[in-house]
Amino acid sequence: MGKILIVDDTLFMRTLIKNILFTGGHTIAGEAGDGEEAIAKYQELKPDLVTMDVVMPKMNGIEALKGIKAIDPNAKIIMCTAVGQEQMVKLAIKSGAKGYIVKPFQAPKVLEEVKNVLAS
Amino acid sequence: MTEVPVKIEFNKEWIVTKLSVSEDRMVLPAPINKEILFKSVFDVSEKKNILIITVKTDTEVVYKILSVEKVLQFLKVRILPVCNAYRLMAYFMSPAIRGGVMIKEAQWEKGSVVVVKSGIWFVGAVKQISVPLSEVAAIELTKREVQGKPTDVIRIDYLDSAEVVSSLVLCPLSTLQVLYNFLKDTTKSMDMKGTELDGVDQQVAMLVYSGMDSHAIENMLNIPHKQLDQIYDKILTLGIGEVVIIRREIQLTPKGVRYISDATKSQTN
Repeated sequence: MGKILIVDDTLFMRTLIKNILFTGGHTIAGEAGDGEEAIAKYQELKPDLVTMDVVMPKMNGIEALKGIKAIDPNAKIIMCTAVGQEQMVKLAIKSGAKGYIVKPFQAPKVLEEVKNVLAS
Repeated sequence: MTEVPVKIEFNKEWIVTKLSVSEDRMVLPAPINKEILFKSVFDVSEKKNILIITVKTDTEVVYKILSVEKVLQFLKVRILPVCNAYRLMAYFMSPAIRGGVMIKEAQWEKGSVVVVKSGIWFVGAVKQISVPLSEVAAIELTKREVQGKPTDVIRIDYLDSAEVVSSLVLCPLSTLQVLYNFLKDTTKSMDMKGTELDGVDQQVAMLVYSGMDSHAIENMLNIPHKQLDQIYDKILTLGIGEVVIIRREIQLTPKGVRYISDATKSQTN
């Protein structure tokens, strides 16, 4: 079980991910609504894992991923984006993302992916 | 002819027998006594370890063949390339996404896509994947990066054991277009305007998709049970959801109140 930071600009998605992670027995370290806040919260909360939306205001998820990786090269980050934006996968993986979730998603598979990334 | 051990359903009973299989036909021995030319097979589907084939000669006859995976794979490899179907050479990636999670080890496989009456088959040298048309949720002509270049592909989303799975098909654009049009036409009954559900209704549908139960949905969206019930009714009326469980709320009778009072007393004594 891990301490997880949820990054997404919509409250709805944050609540959904939070709920899924709760049912999987994980702890929510905190939430962030954009890339800049994500980097600040990562430094402050030192989570075991981050779920990161790709399309966000101010700073997008890929930039935030790079920012967090610059602070902590071992950071475990799962990218989360909508159907049709899967071309971002390569860029995200190249930038150090450990996993990739496409919205809409199903709870058991998300928990499986979180478990795999935490164990990696 | 190669002989393979199977069970075949005959007169509502499973009989243990051996099929004789050649390149273009198979022979079902007594008591069935039937020779099936593969080109007369126009539908092939698979449920767990049962291969269901429909043959059309003068009449339509359905044969259910039960066996181990190795034998069924042998039969699929023989039947699917020559049966009566729309068939195209293609690269496919199946599954590419399962439950919203990208499959990291997913790779393009060279093979064929075979469209039969009730479904689509992805046929490769190692695996043969069946997608029943009744389980297809979405078909989209989209682009994926293949060898560094954005390339046209078809994404097929379907349900597999309650999980949403996406598979990709890659072939020349003109062929893709034919396949896309065919699949769109076959699954036309599922088309919707997209305006049937309002904002909250859509959020509820999305939460159901993600596996949330009614209690979690009420808490997450901060809506009363009655409102959620009305949204469920709308979803059910549209035919985009089905009831899986009915929960009940109860209150205690005087006998129940007495039971709990007594139980509490005994705990505090």
